[in-house]
Amino acid sequence: MLRRDFMRALVAVGSLPNALFAQQTVNPAPPPPAPVPWTLGLNPKTPVPVTETADGVAEDEARFFTLAQMAAMTRLCEALLPAMAGKPGAVEAGTPGFLDFLIGKSGEARKRIYAGGLDWLNAEARQKYKREFAELDAVQVYAVIRPWLRTWMTDHPATEAHADFVNIAHDDIRTATMNSKAWDDASSAAGRDWVTGGLYWSPIEPDMAGLGATANHLPPHVLAVPKAANSMPSYPR
Amino acid sequence: MEKSFDVLIIGSGHAGGMAAKVLTERGARCLMLNAGPVADVARDASRKPAYDLPYRGFKPPGRLEHVFQASEFNANVWVDEEEVPYTFDAANPYNWVRVRLFGGRSLFWSRQSFRLSDYEFKGKSHDGFGEDWPIGLADLAPFYSRVEEIFQVAGAKDGPPQMPDGNFVPVDDVWSESMDRFVKAAKPYGMPVCKQRRAQGRDGLASSVNLLLPDAEKTGKLTSIANAVVREITVDKKTGLPDGCHFVDRLSRREMHVTARVVVLAAGTLESTRLLLNSGLGNSSGMMGHFLMDQVYGPGITCSVPEARNGKATKSLMGGGAIVPRFRNIETKHDGFLRGYALNVTSSTGGLDPRNFAAYGAELEQKLREYHGSAFHMSMMGEVLGRYENQVRIDKQRVDAWGIPVLRIETKYTDNEYKMAKDAIAVSSAVAEAAGFEVLTKNDVPNPPGYSIHEVGTCRMGDDPKKSVLNKWCQSHDHKNLFVVDGARFVSAGWQNPTMTILALSMRASEHLADEMGRSNV
Repeated sequence: MLRRDFMRALVAVGSLPNALFAQQTVNPAPPPPAPVPWTLGLNPKTPVPVTETADGVAEDEARFFTLAQMAAMTRLCEALLPAMAGKPGAVEAGTPGFLDFLIGKSGEARKRIYAGGLDWLNAEARQKYKREFAELDAVQVYAVIRPWLRTWMTDHPATEAHADFVNIAHDDIRTATMNSKAWDDASSAAGRDWVTGGLYWSPIEPDMAGLGATANHLPPHVLAVPKAANSMPSYPR
Repeated sequence: MEKSFDVLIIGSGHAGGMAAKVLTERGARCLMLNAGPVADVARDASRKPAYDLPYRGFKPPGRLEHVFQASEFNANVWVDEEEVPYTFDAANPYNWVRVRLFGGRSLFWSRQSFRLSDYEFKGKSHDGFGEDWPIGLADLAPFYSRVEEIFQVAGAKDGPPQMPDGNFVPVDDVWSESMDRFVKAAKPYGMPVCKQRRAQGRDGLASSVNLLLPDAEKTGKLTSIANAVVREITVDKKTGLPDGCHFVDRLSRREMHVTARVVVLAAGTLESTRLLLNSGLGNSSGMMGHFLMDQVYGPGITCSVPEARNGKATKSLMGGGAIVPRFRNIETKHDGFLRGYALNVTSSTGGLDPRNFAAYGAELEQKLREYHGSAFHMSMMGEVLGRYENQVRIDKQRVDAWGIPVLRIETKYTDNEYKMAKDAIAVSSAVAEAAGFEVLTKNDVPNPPGYSIHEVGTCRMGDDPKKSVLNKWCQSHDHKNLFVVDGARFVSAGWQNPTMTILALSMRASEHLADEMGRSNV
């Protein structure tokens, strides 16, 4: 018997007489009504449990990118934003997994740019080097990526094929990495605090429509404005 | 137990706040309705790291697709596009950027504070396009002065006629060397370069909620209701005059009614027009909803001042901002387009955005270090012409979350705006190069209409009731006790940020209304 099992058996035997005694009580106290009244529940003295954000503790489970796309995305992240000067790189910051989640939640236009772009990277790598993009060395990655890098102003990324993906992904990879727990931790360790922080507005008296069982009589939420399958000088995010 | 008020004010932003201040101080009992809740920064906002948010600070996907300004941090302050939708042709998108919190967009505006000039008020007289306003700068100047005092507008009296000077908190800073080089390089292009003009407000805020509403509340004559979504303005069946409104409580969906002697609309340009169209009021001219305008935003350039690179940026070399007021079609006529644009100019000691470099990895980091502190930006604010066909109407096929029919927006930029944008970028680049700056990035494609959050027009003022919705006092030609005091009444957009003009016009209209109520004319 393992030591912990032995200890459990000892505790069970020790508590048996009390359990028997309890069954012999003539007028047991009635169980408390359920649920417990709120006045007896949370109050200002209730300790607030300490929790951690999952980012930095757990890993994403890829749901959107295929295995080949995720491998290309990981290599792209590694190349575009490697670990430097004490700061984690995009891979260390969990950016490939985060972007899988973000893009998977996004609209069709954004999904198309990413899925198409990652497939294109693999196709280019196979055509030029007869390998998958994930297997290319730094010089080969540079040869594939560099011709498509563009300068651009906010909300106006390149619109030509391949350049759109390369530049949008580069921007997203940098943002996702620099807003990560790993980046923040590295900054804190270097004596800088709250580098990713901002003033976050919670929902302010959110509308009750669509919430809870009483919402049946309320008008349903209407459809959103049309998604922008049009000439907007930006792509929908 | 319904209580009747002298004036019902719908909307609590700059326009509604000014109306409330003026009217209550003149003794009117006012009821203010606002469609959203009161924002309390201590209760509703807190500092958080981006990694602690579900999307690491990215805009939540699918939400606020037409609010380019949104991020995950501020996503909850904008109007939800699903809750209050609007429709448009997918080929001609419109960015309707809205805030329904108490105080409206006055909580978040950019603070740039300019007067319109007679190049705008009398634009038709100058170039033959559109209509003149029924008032001129001389009519509005005294009101501008009082507004500038309330909002503590800082600026220098260095404006040319197209950017009239005002009642400013003086600024006495000198140009940095990079700004000085820009000023000299701009001269041959006929570009006046002036000090920026910004509302400083009080305690870091220049909003209706801290500069206007407290004065109204002090009188004891203002009653305000939050979360009151106005469905329709009601009309007295005997007189045919507006007499109040139906509204629905945003949270409980309780339907309610209030009555008032006068109705003042200040819900924001397009919401005021939507309410009037849904109520079937004030449109005997058929002009309501037409002539939607704003300003072209998005085009601009980013440069680097070479001497400031590699850690050599100093306060004497870099820093400061300027405004280049419209300089096209003032003294000479431009071949490509009517009216003109202004340029916001900024010399920055901060970092440059990585998008300015076609590089990645270690090479990019090296560029960012090298160029840090050397940024010089120019961005365009261009006048959009008022065209009849740029319009809004009610879309009867769609309702919002409270069952209120939504707006359909049909507007697009024309060659005039596109040519103006190209000219702005060509001239900006030429001036930058003449100043010895390296142009890193340029964009001459406008953002979609609406992006500037400067939508104006759709209930324009005018002396002729057949060609306008409101008279020169912002009073309905059709209903003497109905006023519109927000941006809907603009006749032309100008290049200027509209806030000072909205405030001054609201002050002027409200004082006139108080006078007329005193004389029992309303």
